[in-house]
Amino acid sequence: MKKKYAMVVDSSVCIDCKACMVSCKVQHSLPRGHWRNWIKEMRPDFSLGKYTYGHFQPGNCMHCENPTCVHACPSGATYKDEETGIVQINEDFCIGCGNCIVACPYFARYRHPVRRVPDKCDYCQDRLAMGLQPACVDTCPTKARVFGDLNDPESEAAFLLRTRDTVKITTSPEDTKPNMYYLASTEPMDWPGEVKYPAAHSTMTGLVNPLFKIAVGLSGLAVAAMLIRQIFSGSESSEQEEKKEEA
Amino acid sequence: MQERMIPRHDKGGIFIHWFNAVCWITLTLTGLGLINEHWNPLGGWYPNLMRSLFGSPEMLLTVHMYLGLFWASVMIIYVLVRFRESLAFLKEIFSIRPARDMIWMVKKNIQMTMGEKMLKKLGMTPDIPPQGFYNAGQKLFAQVTVIAALVLIVTGVTMFLSTMVLNNPTPVAWSRTIHYLFAGLALAGLLVHIYMAAISREERPAFKSMLTGTVPESYARHHHELWYQQVKDRI
Repeated sequence: MKKKYAMVVDSSVCIDCKACMVSCKVQHSLPRGHWRNWIKEMRPDFSLGKYTYGHFQPGNCMHCENPTCVHACPSGATYKDEETGIVQINEDFCIGCGNCIVACPYFARYRHPVRRVPDKCDYCQDRLAMGLQPACVDTCPTKARVFGDLNDPESEAAFLLRTRDTVKITTSPEDTKPNMYYLASTEPMDWPGEVKYPAAHSTMTGLVNPLFKIAVGLSGLAVAAMLIRQIFSGSESSEQEEKKEEA
Repeated sequence: MQERMIPRHDKGGIFIHWFNAVCWITLTLTGLGLINEHWNPLGGWYPNLMRSLFGSPEMLLTVHMYLGLFWASVMIIYVLVRFRESLAFLKEIFSIRPARDMIWMVKKNIQMTMGEKMLKKLGMTPDIPPQGFYNAGQKLFAQVTVIAALVLIVTGVTMFLSTMVLNNPTPVAWSRTIHYLFAGLALAGLLVHIYMAAISREERPAFKSMLTGTVPESYARHHHELWYQQVKDRI
C-alpha cells in the first residue's frame, strides 16, 4: 500500500535545544550556514507581565500535498514520490535553475553552495530504508517530533491525528496543503512567505508554452492542409504545373 | 531527353545540412522529453516514454546536453572553416525585398494550403513573384533557424554550466524558458520544411539536390527564376 509520511509535532514540549538541527546537519553533512530543519521562536509579549510565555516550534520541509516547488520545476527533477509522499530531488536530472527554492513559501530549500542543486529534508530516506526514524525525530529528547505513515492506522502519527486537535501552518494565495501537523496550537504562525513563482517560470507556463502549442499547431495544420490537397488534387496541380512550364 | 542540370549545393553544404538535420531532430525529440510532464505540450506520456527509453531522466538529459554541445561545436567549426561561404549564405538569407517577399508569402501560402481557386476567389492573380536562390519562405525559415541556433547555443551552454560554476541561478531559469521558446519556433518552421522536402511532389527536385547537389534547369527556371537568370550563362 502507498505510504503517506507525515510529521506530527507537539511544539509545547520543545525546549529549543536544537538537537534536531544538529543531528540533521551531521547526518547529511550539510554545508556551513545551511540547515534542512529549524526551530522557530515566538517573540514573547512582555506586556502580559507575569503571564508572559515563550513558545518554540520545530519544523522542516512539510512534504506538501500541493507542492508548489514541484509545480515550479521545469523538468520534473523535483517531484513528490507517489509511493511515499516524500518530496525529493533527482540531483542528476536537476539543472540548478533555482525555481523551486523561490516557490517554497516555507524556505525549506536552499541551493547547495558546492553541488549547486537545491537541498532539502527527505525524511532521512536512507535511515527509513534501514528501519530507523529520521535523525531529528530519533534525537529529540522531549519527543516533540512524531513521524509516521498516515495511511497506517496503527502508526503513532495516525493515532495522534485521529485523537487530538491539530493545526497546520497555511500559506496564501495558494494553499500548499502541508503534511506537518502541530498538536493543539503553535506559535509563530505568520512566518511563511507568499506563494510566488519566479518570473522565468510564469513566463514559461503562461506565455511560452501556449505560444509553442499555437506555433507548432498552426504549422502542423498547414502541413496537413497541403498534404490533403496533394492527395486529392495532386494530379490536377501537376497538370497546372506543366501548363505553366509550357507557357 | 536528358535535362541540363545546374549545380546548387556543394559537398560541404550537403554534409552540414544532413548533419544539422539529424542533430536538430534528435535534439528536438530528446528536448521535448525534458519538459515537465504536468504541462508538456504533447502530454505526460511523451516525457515518460522518452525517459524510460533512455533508461532514466538523467540519461536523457546527458544525451541531450552532450549531443547539443557536439552539434554546436561542429557548426561553429564549419562556419570558421568555411567563413566566406557562410557569410555569403547569411547575406543571401538576410537580404529581404519586402514588397516581393510579402506578396510571395501571402499568395504562396494560400495557394499551397487552399489552392489556386481560393487565390482567385480572394481576388488575387495567380502569378507568384519570381524568387532568388532562396524563395521568401526558405529565407524566413533560414533566418529563424540561424537566430534560434545562436540563442539555443548560448542558453544551452548556460544551463550546461549551471551546476558546475554558476552561483546565480536566475540566468539559468531564464535560459530554460528562452531555450524552449526558440526550439518551438524552429520546430514550427521545421515541420513545413520537412513536408516540403520529404512529401511535397512539387519540391522533389529540391530534395534530390540535397543529395546530388544539382537541380534540373526547368526547376531552377520555374522556382528560382532570379537565381537562374544569374547562373544560366555561367554553366
